[in-house]
Amino acid sequence: MIDEPKWLRVATHAILIFASAVILLPLLWVLRTSFADKVIAYKIPPDLFFTPTFDNYRDILLQFDFGSFFLNSLLIAVMTTLIALAIGALAAYVIDRHRTGGPVAPIAILATQMMPPIVLVIPFFLIFKKIGLTDTHAGLVISYLTFNLPYVIWLLMSFFKRVPRELDEAGLIDGCSPFTVFLRIVLPAALPGIGAAAVLSFVLCWNEFLFALMLTGQETKTLPVAISSLVTQQGTAIGAVSAATMLAITPMVIVYFAIRKLLVAGLSLGAVKG
Amino acid sequence: MTVTTDTVRTDHGVPGARNRAKRSGARHRLVTHYLFMAPTIIVLALVVAAPLFYSFYLSFHEFIITYGQGDFIGFDNYVGALADDFGEVSWVTMKLTFFAVALEFLVAFGLALLLNRPTLRFREGYLVILMIPILMTPVAVALMFRLMFNPNLGIINWVLSLLYIPGQGWFGDPAMALPTVIFVDVWHETSLMLLMLYAGLKSLPSEPIEAARIDGASRLQIIWYVIVPLMRPIILVTLLIRMISALKSYDLIYMLTQGGPGKATETISFYAYRLGFRFLDIGQAAAVSFVLLGVVIILTLLLLRVMREN
Repeated sequence: MIDEPKWLRVATHAILIFASAVILLPLLWVLRTSFADKVIAYKIPPDLFFTPTFDNYRDILLQFDFGSFFLNSLLIAVMTTLIALAIGALAAYVIDRHRTGGPVAPIAILATQMMPPIVLVIPFFLIFKKIGLTDTHAGLVISYLTFNLPYVIWLLMSFFKRVPRELDEAGLIDGCSPFTVFLRIVLPAALPGIGAAAVLSFVLCWNEFLFALMLTGQETKTLPVAISSLVTQQGTAIGAVSAATMLAITPMVIVYFAIRKLLVAGLSLGAVKG
Repeated sequence: MTVTTDTVRTDHGVPGARNRAKRSGARHRLVTHYLFMAPTIIVLALVVAAPLFYSFYLSFHEFIITYGQGDFIGFDNYVGALADDFGEVSWVTMKLTFFAVALEFLVAFGLALLLNRPTLRFREGYLVILMIPILMTPVAVALMFRLMFNPNLGIINWVLSLLYIPGQGWFGDPAMALPTVIFVDVWHETSLMLLMLYAGLKSLPSEPIEAARIDGASRLQIIWYVIVPLMRPIILVTLLIRMISALKSYDLIYMLTQGGPGKATETISFYAYRLGFRFLDIGQAAAVSFVLLGVVIILTLLLLRVMREN
């Protein structure tokens, strides 16, 4: 197509390969270490080839109970996402279609989403202690709605914008109630967007740390908190920490490869456009 | 058809009825719209506004966790917290935000331009790899680099030794700690910026760039005089979003350094956490968190203005 000097093509690939290596090498190193036994994990200079062992994974799953922390993370992320979607879709729809809430609504939504978590963690910690919500799944779900609900609304607003208004009007003329129009016409038309919002909201919950750190206990710990306490408990149990890190990353990477196109569209839309 | 003519005739017969019907219809619709909004308004009032007011109220009271709430003390918490280490932690937060966001932007914009070259091969492959960090929890990222930057057991000092470069203390060295944290932040957060900038580049109209090329502009001239001005709003939005999230930095700090050594890497968020949950002084912690909130709100309003203008 456009002629370009050879050096430019070579330089482009050289830079992109270097950047890819910077991303991949640390991940591969942790993956490698998660299969190393104690002696090999601590060895410097490191052995590149060794007989892999699953001991680290067995340890974190059996001895440190990471299975249940994994389930905690899953349960809390799924619950929060479902609630945020159910409530947020309704709000996002009327904000986009009818400017309900006036100019205040988008400001309030964006400001809430941008709020530093430390601001809310302080009162939540005290209130939850008082009403007994500390170390409960419900408590963490409630606290996650603070950032997740605005995030979902913000994303869905831009997805609903792409559904033509003529569809709504056609439904209303045919005598559907506004809720039926929303449920039967707009929602199905925006389904890919809703899928993207669901995944992004799930990821946000899965990766959250500060709320989980302050509001959970032994029973409801999520993966990030469990991993962080593994470090303090064990000093530097390199193998176990590596295995736990892989356990936290892997589901997200699988999600990512499964629905990459949808995710990339959602991420760039939610972040860039209003 | 008949229904429509009927309505029109009635309206003509009774002046004003049409307007009234329209107005009550509009009111009815407004009520319906707010019914859609109601669950969100209720939830946000309960889980965001109420705790926020409670915390704001606490920031004007003496409150030590072990003793509970004490007297109203006006601005003492603000004065106390600001006089203490606030200057130092603000400076650290500003340095972290500035260098991290600047580096992330330069790297991300450069990579986005390369990825956007029309003749590039393996584009999808590069994109897949470069986007991976977006989905990683900061806790995992931090642990990964803690293992690798460990002065004695980590791989990085060993690799440096192969290049005859002396090993560093990294997170343990007061001079190296902040740059090392910034490096980890750049590793983690550049992807999101790259994604936003790349999406922006793809959405640019191709005509001005083609026109410049035909007029004989060099590649660098096209980037500087055509692409950068066209990208200005997207660049601004990207920078503001990242600045806001960098100002809130907590997770990486907690996992990498706990603010140390000394206070070399302590951010405002971590300072508020330390005041509240290590020194148990909730009043002061709340005060610090509201100062941070103020800064974030100003930047958010700025962000909204930029978004509106486009």
